[in-house]
Amino acid sequence: MRALATAVLALGLALPALDAANAVEGKLVLYTSQPNTDAQQTIDAFKAKYPKVEISFVRDGTPRVMAKLRAEIEAGAPQADVLLIADAVTMEGLKKEGRLLAHDKADVSAFPAGVHDPEKTWFATKLITTGIVYNTKAALKPESWLDLAKPEAKGQLAMPSPLNSGAAMIHTITLTGNLPGGWSFYEKLKENGTLAAGANGDILRQVATGEKLYGMIVDFMPIREKAKGAPVEFVFPKEGVSAVSEPVAILKSSKNPEAAKAFVDFLISKDGQELALKQGYVSAHPDVALPAGYPARGAIKLMPFDAAKALADEPAARKRFSAIFEG
Amino acid sequence: MTLAAPAELRQTGTRPALPGFALPTGLTLPVLVLLCATLFGALPFLRLLVAAFAPGWQFAPEAALAEISSRAAINATLHTFETAGLSALGALLIGGTAAILLAVTDVRGKRPLAFALVFSMMIAPQVAALAFLSLLAPNSALLGLVGLAPAPGTPNPLLGRGGIILVMALHHAPLVAITLWTGLRSVPQALVEAAQMEGAAPATIVGRILLPVLRPQIIAAALLAFVAGIGNFGIPALLGLPVNYLTLPTLIYRRLSSFGPAGLPDAAALSLLVALVAGLGIVAGLIATRRGGGKIEIERPLQPFWQLGTARPFVAIGLWLLIAIKLGLPLLALLGEALTPALGVALTWQSLTFDKFAEVLLRQDVTVRAFRNSFLFAGTAAVLLALISIAFAYGLERRMGKLRRVVDVVIELPYALPGVVLAIACILMFLKPLPLIGVSIYATPFIILFAYMARFLPLALKAPVAAMAQIEAHHEEAAKLDGVSLWQMLRFIVAPILAPAAAVSGLMVFLVAFNELTVSALLWSSGTETLGVVLFSLKEAGLAGEAAAVAISACAVILAVMLGLDALGRKLPANILPWRI
Repeated sequence: MRALATAVLALGLALPALDAANAVEGKLVLYTSQPNTDAQQTIDAFKAKYPKVEISFVRDGTPRVMAKLRAEIEAGAPQADVLLIADAVTMEGLKKEGRLLAHDKADVSAFPAGVHDPEKTWFATKLITTGIVYNTKAALKPESWLDLAKPEAKGQLAMPSPLNSGAAMIHTITLTGNLPGGWSFYEKLKENGTLAAGANGDILRQVATGEKLYGMIVDFMPIREKAKGAPVEFVFPKEGVSAVSEPVAILKSSKNPEAAKAFVDFLISKDGQELALKQGYVSAHPDVALPAGYPARGAIKLMPFDAAKALADEPAARKRFSAIFEG
Repeated sequence: MTLAAPAELRQTGTRPALPGFALPTGLTLPVLVLLCATLFGALPFLRLLVAAFAPGWQFAPEAALAEISSRAAINATLHTFETAGLSALGALLIGGTAAILLAVTDVRGKRPLAFALVFSMMIAPQVAALAFLSLLAPNSALLGLVGLAPAPGTPNPLLGRGGIILVMALHHAPLVAITLWTGLRSVPQALVEAAQMEGAAPATIVGRILLPVLRPQIIAAALLAFVAGIGNFGIPALLGLPVNYLTLPTLIYRRLSSFGPAGLPDAAALSLLVALVAGLGIVAGLIATRRGGGKIEIERPLQPFWQLGTARPFVAIGLWLLIAIKLGLPLLALLGEALTPALGVALTWQSLTFDKFAEVLLRQDVTVRAFRNSFLFAGTAAVLLALISIAFAYGLERRMGKLRRVVDVVIELPYALPGVVLAIACILMFLKPLPLIGVSIYATPFIILFAYMARFLPLALKAPVAAMAQIEAHHEEAAKLDGVSLWQMLRFIVAPILAPAAAVSGLMVFLVAFNELTVSALLWSSGTETLGVVLFSLKEAGLAGEAAAVAISACAVILAVMLGLDALGRKLPANILPWRI
């Protein structure tokens, strides 16, 4: 009897929520830069809550996802409802062009200020930081960004070029804006024979195989590779790390804004954020734990970063970097 | 038009012409060829130009003009020209030498050598570039063994112009070799025998008889390597970007990676420069062909006539060395990544693991689906293009007159464009429903098929067109006198002559399309993933080992297919398989 009563009570409590979930339906198209398996997990978790939404996704690296979306915009019919890509600066660009839909009702109370767009057009879903990776046979164990300009690292550092990658550009703008020397740090790196090219995967390969001893790289790659036995170590430097936040946004042209809002709500909910943890990333939610292999959340210092300002600064940063590394 | 005039005159005698209703028979094929060239070559390119010079259909050329006249763009154009040009010469030298040695000498183990050379087309350009980079890196295992490893921190000598040219030349050598083989087959043995009776040395026969007769194929092969070099992204990305040596594809990639909305129109504008470089190369090729080689009769095909004597083992060693560098080295690098648990872990019996193969082949159903899709798309494109190439070869060589120059340039464009730019053009063309039928092929397999056909049409055409140019028109003229229809002419006269060349074309298209990484990237949708899409996805997730396992599996599949074809080879018509020499 009591069990039944509890069940009825539970049902009564659950029903309104279920009703709301069932009211959201129809097709939803997601364009994302998440790796295939992660994207599928995200969608599966969302569908478990909103079974009536039929969701399909397109996945590629951020530049290609954006090239596809831009081509569709140029042809007059963007197909995506929701965009989930690596960085907020690209989102700021779309916002400036008036292509993003503000989701005013989104509940962001759990997050500290500055994580999401204050105008609620895009929302951070996780933190992918960039720090230092080194090969375990390296003599110098770096603790600071400035260690990379030391003679021990001469000719031994590889980093992604900001001219080829948006995420690397964000890293460069953050670093030059926060390190005391600013751009002179990059001038020293150039003098120290640093190689600037390649994507994160290439940096990992070069450092793990010992072709180079040091690299600037996103956190999860070396941490996972180390867990599998690779001779690499990842460092969160003491000055702090830069981060991209894999933001999610709704396009104004979306044909199903209700389902799109539900998707965004789900991603920034505690459940959605715990998914990021399960996939092995640092979630943006301050109450969610960090995956194995990471230090405590408090031990990771994030350098401040302003996406809108970075968008404006990009052309100048491009010129500055080219002048140093290509001049 | 001048060519069609006599046909029209002849017709007026037999039946009344219906102007405006039916095309004169002499024009049907040229019109079809022109339509095809427009659809596959001109339209995608023009659509890109609209996106560059009139974004959103509002004429605003300033940004595009600024982009193509920028110093970066001009430098990249020059770099593209020199890497594509010099690597084409290198490919001609490497591939041509290998092809001729295998065809005319008595070197041992021809079949496996030729088989391995064709199979080496399965190595993706960036894999090859990476393998060579690692070979010469400070931590190189191989150089370490002989004590020649460079000091830590030494810049890699392959980075930059020379490395790009070298790796690209090696990469495109099989394309050259295969194209030349189709021509070598049709060189009449009688020519060689006549020269031998005059007492000509083998080297003289090669220089004075073989090379002049092969002229159409040599130019076609050089052009193929040149245009493939223009559009290649993987090699300059790995070897050029680190030292800021940019070619047009890498510059376009750089533009697409910036934050703002300017990336797409900039990339589209740069495709104009790609077309310029390709056009210059093609015009040079046309000037070279105009002087025309001798035509030949179809007779007993060429037999090996060069007895190498004491040099025989050395030639064999040289050729196997080429295979070892071109095929063995990259395969070993891939195997090393796929079989170790993590990057940087040495491959030993203890560390050896098949986990990565199990993961991609058994646990992820997307890989198997990608294999099926790539097989389907590449196979369909190969069969269709092989068939089209027969009609095209006949039309271009015999019916088009001066117009063929235009067609030649136009169909080459999609092969010269970087894959991602061609994909953008396809999106721009096909997003909206097609006119007349009102159906959109966007997000269906057909858009990928279209892109493959547009991209690989010039690859499919080279061998059949060169064969057509080489063969005397006696048979066709006799058939024409008998009053055959166009269809009968193609089916019963032209097709049997061109079948070997067309089959080889189909095989080349299949190998290249099965392996392509960039065209389908923007065009796939859930369910139509290709192998390239899966490879990129794994790499971007930081799973290099899993990506290597997929690449190795793809090689294994193609190896099985080629071995199967080889076993069938005895039953197939002669000369269909390029490595059966």
